[in-house]
Amino acid sequence: MHKVWAIIRREFVERVRTKWFWVSAILGPVLFAGIIVFQIMQSVGGGVRNIAIVDTGSLGYGAQIGEALGASRTLRAKTVKLSPGVLDSLTGLVESKQINGYLIVSDSLPTEGKAEYRASNLSLQTIEELQRTLNRVVVKARLQSKGVNPPVVDWAQALRVNLDQKKIAHGRTTTESAGESFILAYVMAILLFMAILLYGVNVMSSVLEEKTTRIIEVLVSSLRPFQLMLGKVIGAGAVSFFQFVIWGVSARLLISLRVPIARALGADTASAQTMTLPHIPFATLAVFMAFFLGGFLLYSSMFAAVGAMSSNEQEARQAQQPVTYLLMISYLSIIGLTNDPSSTFARTLSIVPFTSPIATPVRWTAGSMGTGELLASLAMLVIGILGVTWIAARIYRVGILMTGKRPTMKELVRWVRTA
Amino acid sequence: MADPVIVDRVTKRFAGHTAVDALSLSVPSGIIYGLLGPNGAGKTTTIRMIMDIYEPDSGVVRLFGQVGGGRQHSAHIGYLPEERGLYPKMRVLDVLVFLAEAKGVPRRVAREKASTWLDRLGLADWRMRKVSDLSKGMQQKVQFISAILHDPDLIILDEPFSGLDPVNSQVLRDTVVEYRRAGKTVLFSTHIMEHAEQLCDRLCIIARGKKLVDGSLAEVKQTHGGRHVIVAFDGSQGSAQQVFNDRRLVAKIQDFGQQAELELADGADPQEILRALVSSGARLSRFELASPSLHKIFVDLVGPEAATAAAVPGVASAREGARA
Repeated sequence: MHKVWAIIRREFVERVRTKWFWVSAILGPVLFAGIIVFQIMQSVGGGVRNIAIVDTGSLGYGAQIGEALGASRTLRAKTVKLSPGVLDSLTGLVESKQINGYLIVSDSLPTEGKAEYRASNLSLQTIEELQRTLNRVVVKARLQSKGVNPPVVDWAQALRVNLDQKKIAHGRTTTESAGESFILAYVMAILLFMAILLYGVNVMSSVLEEKTTRIIEVLVSSLRPFQLMLGKVIGAGAVSFFQFVIWGVSARLLISLRVPIARALGADTASAQTMTLPHIPFATLAVFMAFFLGGFLLYSSMFAAVGAMSSNEQEARQAQQPVTYLLMISYLSIIGLTNDPSSTFARTLSIVPFTSPIATPVRWTAGSMGTGELLASLAMLVIGILGVTWIAARIYRVGILMTGKRPTMKELVRWVRTA
Repeated sequence: MADPVIVDRVTKRFAGHTAVDALSLSVPSGIIYGLLGPNGAGKTTTIRMIMDIYEPDSGVVRLFGQVGGGRQHSAHIGYLPEERGLYPKMRVLDVLVFLAEAKGVPRRVAREKASTWLDRLGLADWRMRKVSDLSKGMQQKVQFISAILHDPDLIILDEPFSGLDPVNSQVLRDTVVEYRRAGKTVLFSTHIMEHAEQLCDRLCIIARGKKLVDGSLAEVKQTHGGRHVIVAFDGSQGSAQQVFNDRRLVAKIQDFGQQAELELADGADPQEILRALVSSGARLSRFELASPSLHKIFVDLVGPEAATAAAVPGVASAREGARA
C-alpha cells in the first residue's frame, strides 16, 4: 500500500505543480461564467428589433398588428403599403441590417390563419412575440365577425395568467423554479463531462509518458501493473477533486464578497445583493460526487488502457476516440434528459454504466428519480466499474511493455484472455 | 545460502521467434557476474524475466532461493534497464525519492540517501533542476543512483556503461567494484568485452538465446583459449603478413592494424615467430606471450553468428519488434 501511495502522491504533486492546473483553476470559473452569460444573452437577444409589416390586403390587419405591437418592449413595427418592388427593397434593408425582418399579412389572415415572416435572424423570442400578437389579432377579428363587441374582446384578452411553478422533488415541494433546476442540472452535466474527459485524458497521457520514457520497466519491476494503474487513477482523480474544491471555495468567496466587489467596480450594490448561488441540497451534492467518482473510475481506467496500448501521442489520440464518443453520448443527451427526465430514453441512460455518471445526477436534480432507481443505477455503475477495470487492467498490463505497432482488436482480446 | 539468482531452463518466445532458449545460469553471492553476448542474443530478455517484467514460457527463475521474479524482492534488488528513461519534467531529487519509495523505502531515508549519492557523483548542484535540463550522461548517472539508492543486495545492470564517457564510465565501475567488496552481488550485461574482462568474476556468454559457455574468467580462458602472442608494431610492418599467414606457426590471427593477436599453431615455438618477424623487417614495440583476451574468445564463439544476424536486416528488425 505504501508503494501505491507513492504513485498517488507523485501523480497529485506533479500535476498540481504545473502551470496548467492553476490556469484552469482560475480560468475555469471565469470561462464558465462567461459561457453562461453568453448563452443567456443569446437566448434573450439584445435590444429592440425593428420590423416592417407589409399588408397585401385592404382590411387593415397590418395596422392592427402594428398597434398591438406598439406596447411591445422588444419589437418596433412600421406598416408599409404594398407596391411593386417593395418586397425587394425590404429584403435589401434586411441585408443591410437596417431592419431585422418583415411580416407579410393578407386579408385571409383570420380565415386561413397564415402569415409570413422573413428575417436574417429568426430569434425564438421575436417569433414567439409575433405569434402571440397575430393570435390576438385573429381572435379579435373572428369574434368581431360573430358580433362580439371589440372592447369586450380587449377586456377578455387583457389578462395574462402567471403560472407559479413549484417543484416536487424527492417528496418535498420546493420553491425552485423549473428554470433553476434545469440550469443546475445542465451545469452539473457539463461539469461532469468536462472533468471526466479532461482528467481521464490526463491519466492517459501520464501512462503514455511512462511508456515512452521507458520508466515503466523500473516501476513494473517493483509494483504490480494493477497497483500502478490504481495509483494513477486515484492520483488524477484527487487532482480533479481538488480542482472542484478550489472552484467551489472561490465561488463561495466571490459570492460572499459580491457587495464590496460591486462597490469597487462602481456597480449597483443592491442588485449585487440579489445574486446568490443556487441552493444545492446535500443529497444532490452527494449524488453528484458519487457519480463523478464512479464515472471517473470507469472512464479513466479505459483511458489508462488506451494510453498503454499506444506508443505515441498521435496513436493515443486516435485510440481514445471510441472512449470519447462513449462519453459524448451522455453529453449529447443532456438536452433530451433535462426536457423529459422520466422518459424511457432517460431511464435507459441512467441504468447503463457508461452513460449513468452524467444521466443519473441530471435526472436526480430534475427530481424525477426515486431512491430505488438511484440505487439500481449506482449498483449497475459499480458492476460496470469492476468489469471495465478488470479488462482495462489486463490491456494495461500487456500494453505498457509493448512498443511498435498498435494492437488490432483481435490482439486486444488475446491480451485480455491471457494476461 | 542459496545463490541470489538461479535461472533454470528458461525459455521465452515472441511471435514465432525464440529469444531465450532453455537457458540456465546461476549467480553466486558476492561476485560480479557478466552476461555477455552480441546484440539480440537474449541478454535483455533474460534480465527482464529475472526482473518479473516478462513471464518465462517455460522454466523457472529463483531469486534468493525463492521461486518467482524480482517484484516480490524489489526492496533487495536494484535494476538499471537497458532503455533508460526518467520523468523529464520532475526534479532530480524528487525522481530519486519517488523511485525509492516505489521500492518501499521510507520518504525521509530516501531523501537523505539521494542527497548523499548526488553529492558523490558530482550532481549536488542539480538536485533541484528538472531531469530534462540534465545532459544524457548525467541522466544516466541519476538512473544509476536510482538503481542502488535503496542499498540492494543484488544489483542487475543492463548495459550499464553504454553511452558514458570514459570518466563517468570509470566512476560507475568503481561503484560496482565497491559494491562487490561490501559483499553484494552484481549481475550485468554487456557486449563490451574489455569491461567484462576488467570486472567479472564469473561470466556467461550467450548467442541466439543459448548459452555458449559459462564459468569463472580463468576457466573460460583456459578451456577456450590456446597459446597466444600479442604483437604490436612501431611503424613499419615489413613483411610480417607472410609470417602471420604461415599456418605451421600461426593457427588464427586477429589483426587490429598496429596490433595483432596470434593463436599459435600446435607445436609452434613462439621464439621462432619472434625470429621470423625480426628477420621480416618489422619494427616491433611489443611481443608478449599472453592468455587470450575475452574479446578473442567472444569473437571466436559468436563471431560468425553475430555477423549473420547483423547482415540480414529482416532478421534484425523482426527481432527488434519481437523483443518489444
